[in-house]
Amino acid sequence: MGGGSAPRYLDAIRRDYPISLHGVGLSLGSADGLDPVHMKRVRAAVERFEPALVSEHLSWSAVGGTYFADLLPLPLTQEALDAVCRNVEELQTALRRRVLVENPSSYLQYRHSTIPEWEFIAQVARRTGCGILCDLNNVYVSARNHGWPASRYLAALAPEAIGEIHLAGHSVRPLPNGRTLCIDDHGSRVAPEVWALYADAFARFGPVPTLIEWDTDVPAMSVLMEEAERAAQIMHDTSYACDRARAA
Amino acid sequence: MHAIGPELLEVQRAMRESLVEHRDDNLRAHIVADGLDPAERLDVYRNTFASVLTNALRLSYPAVARLVGDDFFEGAARIFIAGEPPRSACLDDYGAAFPAFLDDFGPARSLAYLPDVARLEWAVNRALHAEDATSLNGEQLIRLADSDGALMRFVPHPSISLIRSNYPVDAVWRAVLDQDDAALHAIDLRSGPVWLLVERIETGINVQRVSEAPWRLTVALCSGQPLHGALGEQADFEPAALLADHIAKGRFVDVRTDPLRT
Repeated sequence: MGGGSAPRYLDAIRRDYPISLHGVGLSLGSADGLDPVHMKRVRAAVERFEPALVSEHLSWSAVGGTYFADLLPLPLTQEALDAVCRNVEELQTALRRRVLVENPSSYLQYRHSTIPEWEFIAQVARRTGCGILCDLNNVYVSARNHGWPASRYLAALAPEAIGEIHLAGHSVRPLPNGRTLCIDDHGSRVAPEVWALYADAFARFGPVPTLIEWDTDVPAMSVLMEEAERAAQIMHDTSYACDRARAA
Repeated sequence: MHAIGPELLEVQRAMRESLVEHRDDNLRAHIVADGLDPAERLDVYRNTFASVLTNALRLSYPAVARLVGDDFFEGAARIFIAGEPPRSACLDDYGAAFPAFLDDFGPARSLAYLPDVARLEWAVNRALHAEDATSLNGEQLIRLADSDGALMRFVPHPSISLIRSNYPVDAVWRAVLDQDDAALHAIDLRSGPVWLLVERIETGINVQRVSEAPWRLTVALCSGQPLHGALGEQADFEPAALLADHIAKGRFVDVRTDPLRT
């Protein structure tokens, strides 16, 4: 994990605030399995900071000892589902706690995929007992890029599995054929369509800790506060049907 | 959608070829085109791979990046990344081989001091991220008095690096990061070699010039040479004050007296 001032600041922040520990490097979808060295680092961070939530992505980022520093898309097959479940189980055993798995944004699909992503992530949660970090911007971006029905995506997820929600901005890149490709870049305000999904998600899932991700071209604090206020307003204005008390 | 396709490992190896070597032959047939050439879809991932790692290198080598400019740095970084993609998900550890890469990088040859500026920056990066360690305590120091100097070996704090350069790279590094053009122009690159000690201290990172003899003794001690042997190599130099200074500044975290394993 390393030493110096950064972990000490986090210790100090942790004394006053709960922390959500969000991983990008565990590569839950690696056919090779998890990297034991990186797993040890994550376990050390979990033991030191005792975060309220621990999450990683439904993606992969390493093969044969090379790490790509990106959240790469998985072929959505039975074999990949088994590999992800194996890795999630190993992670939860090592950390001795439940983790959340986040749906990624993606820019390609594999021809041999057989399982819709919403069923895939729902099955990972069902089989491993992990929770789901539902990134609504990623749902929107992938749905638009691949022509998926975003509302069907949300409907496939069990409300009691949802442990955290992410919101973020994306950019829209025009393609030569007149279509567009949405890119999840965390560099702007949350899009109106994603706010609409948030109201939909809130009605389905009930109140869930929500994080707005903005780490490219970070704006003035007041802009971030406006975005957070808007999320709070939607929570306030939307009624929900499910019983959060069932949630683990 | 096809029920039968390549195995996961095969897809992941093919993606490695796409991202690192820009060869899509083994992957493109498995990707749905849907109005966009698979190669262009893969370009989105290739761009992220290159830009995230270039940014990681820029964070570790900010003075090198400013000295050569954005275009040059990005060009050099892309060649480096293709040859040395990360072996670990811990990006703080990525780029240790960049100084050696710059040694052999033709377009950088006119800046002979550049690889050593990079070495200094890597030492600073190491100092920033090194594990915390507890320095020698009073009890251990008292035990030192009874120890056999022929066996006694110090374990340095993990944040410490020792660098020698033919150029005043510490002055270059400081002037570049301070954006102090006057200081940069005042540097005489032929002023002779410098010997540097880099470490993390309470208030940040300390980059300190040391004279040659104490630097050599410190290198010997930090590389685990027994005290007597290290001292024996010193000629015209009184080491007691240096040792006291190292101990007072917490530069040693342990002392061992067990025989060296060979």
